[in-house]
Amino acid sequence: MLFPTIDFAIFFAVVFTVNWLLNPYSVPWKIFMVAASYFFYAWADWRFMFLLAASTVIAYTGGGILDRLEGQAKRLALWVTLALLLGLLAWFKYYVFFTVNADNLFHFMGFDRPLPLLNVSLPIAISFFTFMAISYVVDVYRGTLKTARPMDLAVYLSFFPHLVAGPIVRGTELLPQIRRRRDPAHINYTEAIWLIGAGLAKKVVLSSYLATYVVDPVFASPRQHSGLEVIFAVWGYAVQIYADFSGYTDIAIGVALLLGFRFPQNFNRPYTAVSLQDFWRRWHMTLSNWLRDYLYIPLGGNRGSERKISVNILITMLLGGLWHGAAWTFIGWGLFHGVGQIVGRQRRLWRKAHGLPLEPGGRVRIAVAQFVTFQLVCIGWLLFRAPSFSNAWSMVGRLFHGWGSSPLVTPLAVLAVAIGIATQFMPDGWVDRIRRAFADRRLAVQGAILGVVLLAITTLGPQGVAPFIYYRF
Amino acid sequence: MNILPDTPSTSPPEPGFSAPDPTGSTDAHGAGVVKPRDAPGAMELPWTRILIVGAICFAVWLLLDAPSLQKSAQASPLGSRRTVSLDVVGPVAAVSRGLGLAHVVGWTDDLLGRSVGGGPSLSIATPPIIPVSKGNGKGKGPALAVTIPTTTPTASTAPTPTTLPPLPQHPTAANPLQVVVIGDSIGIDLGPPLTNDLIGTGVVAAILDGKIDTGLSRPDYFDWPAELRADLANHHPQLVVVMMGANDPQSLEVNGTAVAYGTAGWNAAYSARVGAFMDTANAAGAHMLWVGMPPMAGSQLDGEMNVVNGLVQSQAATRPAGVTYLSSRNVLGDGQGNYTAYLTNGSGSEVNIRTPDGIHLTLGGGEVLSQAVMNSIRGTLKIALPG
Repeated sequence: MLFPTIDFAIFFAVVFTVNWLLNPYSVPWKIFMVAASYFFYAWADWRFMFLLAASTVIAYTGGGILDRLEGQAKRLALWVTLALLLGLLAWFKYYVFFTVNADNLFHFMGFDRPLPLLNVSLPIAISFFTFMAISYVVDVYRGTLKTARPMDLAVYLSFFPHLVAGPIVRGTELLPQIRRRRDPAHINYTEAIWLIGAGLAKKVVLSSYLATYVVDPVFASPRQHSGLEVIFAVWGYAVQIYADFSGYTDIAIGVALLLGFRFPQNFNRPYTAVSLQDFWRRWHMTLSNWLRDYLYIPLGGNRGSERKISVNILITMLLGGLWHGAAWTFIGWGLFHGVGQIVGRQRRLWRKAHGLPLEPGGRVRIAVAQFVTFQLVCIGWLLFRAPSFSNAWSMVGRLFHGWGSSPLVTPLAVLAVAIGIATQFMPDGWVDRIRRAFADRRLAVQGAILGVVLLAITTLGPQGVAPFIYYRF
Repeated sequence: MNILPDTPSTSPPEPGFSAPDPTGSTDAHGAGVVKPRDAPGAMELPWTRILIVGAICFAVWLLLDAPSLQKSAQASPLGSRRTVSLDVVGPVAAVSRGLGLAHVVGWTDDLLGRSVGGGPSLSIATPPIIPVSKGNGKGKGPALAVTIPTTTPTASTAPTPTTLPPLPQHPTAANPLQVVVIGDSIGIDLGPPLTNDLIGTGVVAAILDGKIDTGLSRPDYFDWPAELRADLANHHPQLVVVMMGANDPQSLEVNGTAVAYGTAGWNAAYSARVGAFMDTANAAGAHMLWVGMPPMAGSQLDGEMNVVNGLVQSQAATRPAGVTYLSSRNVLGDGQGNYTAYLTNGSGSEVNIRTPDGIHLTLGGGEVLSQAVMNSIRGTLKIALPG
């Protein structure tokens, strides 16, 4: 089920009401929330409910066994549990990619093709709930989290606001909130509706517009478009994917707030970053934190030689890229950012050794650093969005011999890109003033204002809403 | 690999992975994970009041937007969901119109220059052709001495007599072959590889005009005949490549009466629409190359596609001078024309040609089919394309 649809509005109206009516009754509330979340997930394809249930059973069973073991046996149980969870992910998400490439490699080397070719469906959100299940199991193993009751774990993994596209919420963050009763009299209402409204506007208006009128046409047929259109398509995609993904998580966080839950922040003005390292502290923060805690640090983190650290960074970013999709372009994107992280680290170390400031100082230098970082991020987005390397190469080629008329670069397209970037620099005070002015109105007036805002969003958006980009991850 | 974490206090922060977020507070439970901060001036309410605000919001929005919602409901597939939606939205839309509120959306639509009741449909559309090289520089084909009909030709399976200008056998960069590729979501899967292949010859100017979730069954939802007429008028193509039909096995409305799929009446009505569509292109001087639907993984849809393909092929057969039918079953199917997700290409590599839904084409599938279309243009239409 997609957030910006009538179906979800009806679903949420029912869930919101029953959520608070059942709030005093812990067990019925949990049963209801699991049922509602599975219904939400099954809306696209009911068969995938069993996959979600299987991940929950594996995580619960593995966590329970880990809790009772020590030493090597505990370590073995951890690896078995992780292998099962990752095995589901590998089968559904990577089997086709792996098989085709392995078979072709064997064929190239003159051997028979060893692996059967199957058409495996990709369940939505499998990457998200698998990573959450892994974080739960590893946290139990590390002793930073107590094992959860089955219904608590089922709610944690299936809770519909985060289910399909994050944010990736840790067990340490959500399970305590599931166990205690929420306060029905003090719901952070203005923050929730601001997030939902902003998320809807970003997704339905900004992201959809840029995708429809600029990004998709150019990436579909680069040879038909000028160099200027290519540049705008890549900039437009930078804005589109930010508006799309941060819009989704804004709505998810807002919806969770209305149900009495608090999710972690997932974005922090990523296009104001002054370096690629800074970008990853601001973009999809719950994923980068997850990669740090459950992959980079176990690999060795910052320990060891510089070469070992660089390898750790590269592996982490490569797998981070592969997490986004089973394609060489995603691996290329991960490699690009991995190299960027390594170069950035070496640059910082060099500056530190020479007594130079690590971050740019002064407005002009900061602005230059932000501009350069944004362009580097856009190079990464080119790989990320392109359906193939040859497509990306065609896009680059247009920059050198494709300077003609640019009918897609309309004033509205320029405005959309500018707005998407400008919002990153909007002072916090403006948002606070808008919220305060809204909160000062009477409830009926607030409702009417929200109705008009909703009308503006639905009217300015295109007919139909494309699935969120991160749905398929 | 050591799965145990470094102790945060002994492990130096790694740029890009572990720096604390400046705007969030560290969660007492989480491993350095941040939470959204409480906004200044945040207003807290009990849930019952939020429900009231939500109800007011919904009522205001419904009253203002009901005419658009009614239009959307009318355009949705025939069935109980559509009926219920119309029953609910219809009276509210009447009230909205009575109060003059429908103008609010109408003004916005006028301002943005689009049809009443919502924005543009999600689509892939490319702008007027960019010249493939220095040549005539206008990106337009030779002027055609034909008048493009402004209405759909009479719904008949008999071809409309027309005199088609011959296709240029040897297009050049200066006088490129003008091609428009149109279709539904599967046509959009074919479109980018095909337009790239065509443009890559250096003697073709091609554009793609695809719309997802469309076909010939529901002109009330998307009017492909009107879109084709616009493409013909705007781009003056000499060749129109069509690939659509996956959404068409559904009830048709003929003279206000629903004609159910699977009946002889449906076959006749659909054939008439397909024939009229072909005639529209031919009447404007454009040849049509219709690419049939590929085999589908689901047996029901596969059977439906066989029906659609058969009707289209029959209509093409009655217009041999103006329409060429290319079956994609042999191109994208196994040896027997059945569904397969993988093919071995010319260099012996396996290619995944179908998406996991068993319906659409992957980029690799689109490229395989594009080559078949290119071969058809070269072989059947006898147009000399380099490469």
